[in-house]
Amino acid sequence: MTLARVRAEIETWGTIIFVDASSSTINESAIQSSIDKVRDFLYEVDEVFSTYKDQSQVSRLRRGEIKIVDCTPDLQEVWQLCHEAKLLTDGYFDPWCVEGGFDPSGYVKGWASDRAISMMKTDGVEHIQINSAGDLSLAGGHEPGKPWSIGIRHPEDAQTIVKVFEIADGAIATSGTYERGSHIKDPHTGLIAIGARSATVYGPNGGVADALATALIVAGKDGAYLFQKPELSEYHCWVIERHSDEAWAI
Amino acid sequence: MGAKRFLLIAGGTVGGLGAVLSITPPQFGSASGGTLGGNTLSGASAATTAPAPAQTQAAPAPAATTAATPAPAATKKSTKKSTKSTTTATTPAAPATTAPAAPAKAAVSGTFTGATQQTRFGPVQVQITVSNGKITAAKALQYPNNDFRSQSISQQAIPYLVQETIAAQSANIQGVGGASYTSQGWYDSLVSALAKAGM
Repeated sequence: MTLARVRAEIETWGTIIFVDASSSTINESAIQSSIDKVRDFLYEVDEVFSTYKDQSQVSRLRRGEIKIVDCTPDLQEVWQLCHEAKLLTDGYFDPWCVEGGFDPSGYVKGWASDRAISMMKTDGVEHIQINSAGDLSLAGGHEPGKPWSIGIRHPEDAQTIVKVFEIADGAIATSGTYERGSHIKDPHTGLIAIGARSATVYGPNGGVADALATALIVAGKDGAYLFQKPELSEYHCWVIERHSDEAWAI
Repeated sequence: MGAKRFLLIAGGTVGGLGAVLSITPPQFGSASGGTLGGNTLSGASAATTAPAPAQTQAAPAPAATTAATPAPAATKKSTKKSTKSTTTATTPAAPATTAPAAPAKAAVSGTFTGATQQTRFGPVQVQITVSNGKITAAKALQYPNNDFRSQSISQQAIPYLVQETIAAQSANIQGVGGASYTSQGWYDSLVSALAKAGM
């Protein structure tokens, strides 16, 4: 069985999203047109959710110009899911406790990648990787019977892979002081988060994995208990402590 | 993920240089697995497609971390320009205890240069050094540097790409989390370098 495989880059959200898609049932041009649909969807997500676009619905919501009930169904859905994630993380992830008001950026990447994956699956794509700047949603493994092997780079050393995860289906999200200093605030204290230096979370849902990774940056080891919640039984984490190179995992 | 991360990753955008994902030519024996940054990667190497028996014992393949500087052995061999003809030369007189049956293909060594790929930021060209069928070094012969912005992005992205290329085959990984840059240009040039290496 041969796999038709297409790799593509989609430039949006202020980054480049890498898509690796293959299938044994549809050909390359069919995969490409599925990716084109995903591209349109991701552009649309950017238009609605970007906090860097003055006229996005999220920006207008933040300024109080519109109310959540006036927003697109997608934004209302994300609003609701953010609320659930806030409860699941006992408030360690709180998109309402952000300077400037509601900011779903910490959830929406994973959410949109998951959505993109289900769109592509519907089109007959079987093996999918969507990598948006280091947060990945995955489906169907790399090829039949083989999971995706995903390396996580060291938080301060871009050239070093510190850990490899093998995941067939699901999402893996990393939060931390990548790219610049800590930019996550502790919702409980309003101070800069001092929990983990880097937190990688994997599990079935991209948005939840995103939110949990952020929560662990805030909570550090104190957040370990979250993973005992039955709703989070399928989630795992791998965390590097802030003041040492110690790593712990659940 | 972090609230503001969308913007700052713009670095990756501008450069358009990035992750070489899915480098999995079947010949890559990643049996040596190795450790990177002191953490184990061996879990992943189990996933190798081809058993690649000979090359494991041929010589201790340099760990991927040290490989950034081309292993001397690899450079020496590259002058021979022998792709796959001289098995004995490449695999030092393999006593072949564990793998008496020679693999169908001799392990490749040498330096291989990929085709120049045009990206919207400028040309990208990759050169790889291969030792006993494993990439031990990768470098950009050409990369976008026509303005300050491209330069700084390239400086940031290329070391990453180099390491990712090496890590991807040694650990057999198909994606990188934690922050990632993507470049079809790098990937395409790499593919043509691999083709020249017969890998």
